[in-house]
Amino acid sequence: MAADVRETVRGRQWSIRLDGESHEVTLVTHEPMRLDVDGHDVLASVIDERAMRASRGAAASRSGRVELRAPMPGLLKAVHVKEGDIVERDAPIVTLEAMKMENELLAPIRGRVAKLNHTAGAKLEGGVVVAVLIAE
Amino acid sequence: MAKRSGCEAIHPGYGFLSENADFAQAVVDAGLVFVGPPASVQRALGEKTAARRLAQSVDVPVALGTEPLRDLAAAHEAAGKIGYPVLLKPAGGGGGKGMRTVRREEDLDAAWQGATGEATTAFGQAALYLEQAIMSARHVEMQILADGHGSVVWLGERDCSVQRRHQKLIEETPGPWVDERLREQLGEAAVRIAKKAGYRNAGTVEFLVDHGGRFYFLEVNTRLQVEHPVTEMVTGLDLVALQLAIAAGEPLPFAQADIVRRGAAVECRITAEDPAAGFLPASGVIALVREPAGPGIRVDSALFTGMTVATEYDPLLAKVIAHGRDRVEAIARMRRALEEMRIAGIPTSLPFHRSTLFHQLFITGRYDTTFVAQWEHRTLDELADGAVSAAALAAVLASRALSEHRAVTPVDQPWARSAREDALR
Repeated sequence: MAADVRETVRGRQWSIRLDGESHEVTLVTHEPMRLDVDGHDVLASVIDERAMRASRGAAASRSGRVELRAPMPGLLKAVHVKEGDIVERDAPIVTLEAMKMENELLAPIRGRVAKLNHTAGAKLEGGVVVAVLIAE
Repeated sequence: MAKRSGCEAIHPGYGFLSENADFAQAVVDAGLVFVGPPASVQRALGEKTAARRLAQSVDVPVALGTEPLRDLAAAHEAAGKIGYPVLLKPAGGGGGKGMRTVRREEDLDAAWQGATGEATTAFGQAALYLEQAIMSARHVEMQILADGHGSVVWLGERDCSVQRRHQKLIEETPGPWVDERLREQLGEAAVRIAKKAGYRNAGTVEFLVDHGGRFYFLEVNTRLQVEHPVTEMVTGLDLVALQLAIAAGEPLPFAQADIVRRGAAVECRITAEDPAAGFLPASGVIALVREPAGPGIRVDSALFTGMTVATEYDPLLAKVIAHGRDRVEAIARMRRALEEMRIAGIPTSLPFHRSTLFHQLFITGRYDTTFVAQWEHRTLDELADGAVSAAALAAVLASRALSEHRAVTPVDQPWARSAREDALR
């Protein structure tokens, strides 16, 4: 397949000609990889061989441990569970206030609360681990 | 600062200062003109239960509700009388902040805690009241203008039912299911409330309309609304210019009968929120912006490449407004505009808006305030094969560029560069 690729904005936007058709692809965010393809929204992931080997390793040693991370910076308004609690999937774990709105972070799995890293009132950076759950 | 710069009047925009009566009074006390209703009117209408009483006094229907509640026990008693579901609302302010829908009695305690917190943060006062929740209704609001000479007119309604957690995402005029009779009823009700309150300047009277066409007064927004451009597009009026003229003491230059609405207009509020993750607020740096243009398209935005978006403020990034001869043309123009728009660096609501403009419920106008909650994120809609290949190619290029970037950054310190340069010699 012959493609003519031109990087129109460095690391962000490409003009790609394929089979006589021109497409514009914009990288909206890296992680997860969101693309805008000719005005349509696409979620993409690139798996190279090294990453595939790494993920196979992770699968082998999987212990059912899940980290709940703050998806954005904000104020931790409330913690709804204690360490040792068994929570159902989708149970509210903490309430995070950002942009004057309160958002509940829910348990992604049914499990035991193994660790709570912050207490109510803490100001959190985006991406920090708030709680660790172990699958039950 | 206003006095030092030699200005004569202050326009408060549509943020927190616009509905702060103390601010309006301070402006007047400083010998300046406040572009908006007088502080006394703002106080009378800003306290939501007082506004409800005022509406009832001029025969405008309101939903069942209470006065400000003493405590949680009083809330339990009142909610039991009204019947669940109920809405828990801050008496001190509007804009949907701090508002909670309570479906069952066992949820009331948690809602009370949360709403008290948000009301205190947003409005500096914790007072709450209860209202009967009218489910799957439409949020329809009426734009009014009032001068200082006793003239009050209504300009037309806006349907703002596409909202999540009472934050609007799409607004349009005319309301897809508002007929001439309902429009006039809403307009006249709004004018009665404004006259009774001694209103001056631009304002919005909000109503809920149920599926039977019955309407209930919600509140008065004593300011210009974020969604005012759709009304400007169909009436051809510049609302901000009229606000300034009214503030300067001029009479309205037209009467009710002179107001003509042409065609239809839609506004999409593009926000820094990720619709794929339950509209979580996003923050980061804008890496790239391209705003749409063309016939019937207006963009109100302050976006620029390199802008830092923080989570401390309202997530609104840009407003895209489309005007057409009718609703079909306005929607077609909006679809094209959204397809043309690019924002990179952070996730935005653009995917939600793009897909909603093709959603059957939106196209037929049969949506109500439950629309966003029912909306489901689809990742890949019908893409042509060529576009999929192009996407795959770009994804590989993007990840390669990123990993190269990562590998280079840690060693790219001045001393390291200097060492490398030395080695090259």
